[in-house]
Amino acid sequence: MASNELTRRDMLTVAAVGTGALVGGSFSSEVASAAEPAKTGSGMMDISLRVNGAEHRLSLDPRTTLLDTLREHLHLTGTKKGCDHGQCGACTVHIDGRRVNSCLTLAAMAEGAEITTIEGLGDPDHLHPMQRAFLEHDGYQCGYCTSGQIMSATAMLKEQWGESDAEIKEAMSGNICRCGAYKNILAAIRQARKA
Amino acid sequence: MPSDAATAPHAAVGRATVRVDGPLKVSGAARYTSDFHFPGMLYAVPVGATIASGTIAAIDTRAAEAMPGVRKVYTRHNIGKFYRVPTSSKALINERRPPLDDDAVHYYGQYIALVVADTFEHATAAARKVKASYSAVTNPNVSTSLAPAMGDASGKLPANEPRQPDSERGDPDAAFASASVQVDHTYNTPFETHSSIELHASVATFDGVRFTLYETTQAVMNSRQLIAQMLGVPTEDVRIVTEFLGTGFGGKGSVWPHSLLAAAAARDLRQPVKLVLTREETFECVGHRPHTQQRIRLGATSDGKLVSLRHDFIYSRARLTEYRENCGESSSFMYSTPNLRITSAFAGRDTGVATTMRGPGAVPGMYALESAMDELAVALKMDPVELRLKNEPAIDESKNIPFSSRHLKECLTTGAEKFGWSRRKPEIGSMRDGDVILGWGVAACTWMAARIPAQASVMFNADGSVRVASATQDIGTGTYTVLAQMVSQLTGVTVDRVKVVIGDTTLPPGPFSGGSMATASLVPAVAQAAREAIGRLLAAAAEGDSHFDKASVAQLDFHQGRVHRKGQQPNEGRSFEDVLAAARLGHVEGHGKSAGTRDEEHPAYSTHSFGAHFVEVAWQPEIARLRVNRAVTVIDAGRIINPLMGRNQIEGAVTMGIGMALFEETNYDARNGMPVNSNLADYIMATHADTPPMDVIFLDYPDTHLNEMGARGIGEIGLAGIAAAITNAVYHATGVRVRDLPVHIEDLLIAA
Repeated sequence: MASNELTRRDMLTVAAVGTGALVGGSFSSEVASAAEPAKTGSGMMDISLRVNGAEHRLSLDPRTTLLDTLREHLHLTGTKKGCDHGQCGACTVHIDGRRVNSCLTLAAMAEGAEITTIEGLGDPDHLHPMQRAFLEHDGYQCGYCTSGQIMSATAMLKEQWGESDAEIKEAMSGNICRCGAYKNILAAIRQARKA
Repeated sequence: MPSDAATAPHAAVGRATVRVDGPLKVSGAARYTSDFHFPGMLYAVPVGATIASGTIAAIDTRAAEAMPGVRKVYTRHNIGKFYRVPTSSKALINERRPPLDDDAVHYYGQYIALVVADTFEHATAAARKVKASYSAVTNPNVSTSLAPAMGDASGKLPANEPRQPDSERGDPDAAFASASVQVDHTYNTPFETHSSIELHASVATFDGVRFTLYETTQAVMNSRQLIAQMLGVPTEDVRIVTEFLGTGFGGKGSVWPHSLLAAAAARDLRQPVKLVLTREETFECVGHRPHTQQRIRLGATSDGKLVSLRHDFIYSRARLTEYRENCGESSSFMYSTPNLRITSAFAGRDTGVATTMRGPGAVPGMYALESAMDELAVALKMDPVELRLKNEPAIDESKNIPFSSRHLKECLTTGAEKFGWSRRKPEIGSMRDGDVILGWGVAACTWMAARIPAQASVMFNADGSVRVASATQDIGTGTYTVLAQMVSQLTGVTVDRVKVVIGDTTLPPGPFSGGSMATASLVPAVAQAAREAIGRLLAAAAEGDSHFDKASVAQLDFHQGRVHRKGQQPNEGRSFEDVLAAARLGHVEGHGKSAGTRDEEHPAYSTHSFGAHFVEVAWQPEIARLRVNRAVTVIDAGRIINPLMGRNQIEGAVTMGIGMALFEETNYDARNGMPVNSNLADYIMATHADTPPMDVIFLDYPDTHLNEMGARGIGEIGLAGIAAAITNAVYHATGVRVRDLPVHIEDLLIAA
């Protein structure tokens, strides 16, 4: 596994990326290394995933969830792991426009589908109206469940729910926010619905 | 320097400001610990004990080692050396035993092995193949009955060690015995688990000499000190990074054993190692709020004046920790009474160790005290708001010193007005909305305010930005934004030009994020740093900028980010970046260092925040359905630096309080000590649909005894008292007094 040995150059990269530095709202430090080649080994399967409009060819352990594929193989870490059991909603992504818990979805099941993650919705300089609404209404605190909340909210608006606050709250109850920013999440969704 | 800037019309402090880190959080670009990835990174999965008390007889790792992708399986025989933390250390650590220290098992889930593999899937599969056998297994004691009978005639608990009262004045026993109205009840709060949505994680790297550890911690400096100690390396050789934390609520304050395991694996394999706990493991290995059992005795005159208050409590304590849940923290000063005694004891239990959870001590304690106050109001046939107003103390009677700023009465009267409390009918079940029975409850709340030592640096940069740096961290409370607002306030430079650098131990040592103390602690350090930096900027202008024509420093001033002559307007001067350019300086920097107030032996003031919760519940007896309908909360917490974030934080605490009152409890299996509901479907927290309309009001009384901006801190106070306000409302609706949290719907069936 010589290729896995950590080189001095790698360590310099490690040293460079570590500080939480913010200017206004944009991160000043460089992003950790780009995707490395998928690991190979016994029992791997080749699959092709279409994520945020880009095609990715991967060799994966067939047990790999879509969540771990996004995070550990494609390094799309905006999608979060909160329970790995489909109970918290932090891992919510869109598969063909519908909201799905990516922790309960094997990557192999998503082959051929159009997968959208929070990174595909908008970036810090080009926010989606729902992302902007969460920003303006302070629809989060720690931010860890936020990607899932936003992905769930954008998909929910296309589902058959009524207009009332009670229905939004019911429809969003699969996404737990332990910080309890629900009131502001509700306000954000109401604003984005009008946008 | 604008010392009066806090009251200036365009002050940054006190203004509702959108989070400076918000664009990163809403786009998935904010990097939390488990988001870090490095070339060659390996995945570690721990193996936990399946007993709660006994000895490891043998561990068979052969099958696991033969699994695909496995790099190494560690037990205590090959993990490498860990060292102990000296007992004299005041660092925050609740589980002092290093992981894999010996063959003893003290709780279910305690790590007994670690599997490291090339992928998460390989590591997870192999971890299941590690087989352990145990000897000397004993039945765990996880009972939630902490003592058969609390307190004897003397008022002393049947304690497991003799101890002095935590607080005592007058003769509480005689005063209680002769009081015309007496209330004597015991309240239980369950084991609760923090359940931050971010799982605890470590990403460890080691270059042969130095460790860089990406940690889920509320205290980077504390983590560095302890991890260096336990790895046996100099403190300088450990760097802790926490760019973003998916909150902690106290559960990420201590250093936990998994961090040592990840570091040791990286040390041995010389490759980066990622270790992310499972949700189940977060119920076992990273702390919880202990079970408490609290007896409150109140004696009062017939017109509602307290004459005696006794608060005797026991909390569960795991074998491996000395963590103390100080339920009586607030009881000694909350109300005026000449006679008082608070005692405490613990009961040993075979669980993972407890730790601080949002409002440790005061949150379970205020549930008990504020429930008892409601019971006293019922016994007196007195309005519960009036009872509290009547027993407002003039000073902190436990310390005989004045409060720095206490406005509890205004919290109660403002909340009552906002809620419509005067329309309350006191009879049980007497208020209706159609077929629904309404219950109205009230409770007061309090939480300590103090500063801990802090350092910070402030730097004016030639590119026109101002950088503020401190080794503190933003756990979701808004420290990035609060620091930007503070610096904007002190320098007149707009928030969008302030660069906040935190979450890294290479920075000036900053405060931990806990006890609602980070913001208050940072104020003096940042203010001193900003003033020193401004002084250096003025010196640079006087010496190096011909624009000022050899003006002396004393003739110069600094406002709105511009150096100008005194008596002139800022726009007649020069921007700081022009001054730096003229002086050919890349930057000027100032440092600030402030002491804490928390350990002052003879404080001049008693410093606390206060508040009041008003709650309406809806009870439908036909279908035994209970809901929280609405809540009004008034908080007196000094100056609120950012009302947008501040209100959010109190609303979040009220939401958590709904969970505390109605849903949350961790249950242990008496056979093996396993937390049985160790997942987010069975450990029930308030969801979006459980959250009622909420109204949060801040009284604006800056507490300048604590710091010049008058900010106290608001992380915890919102959770104190709210559970009592809800159970008091439940009593008003149903006539059922729930003294064991949470309220189970079965408790209410007798009223259905």
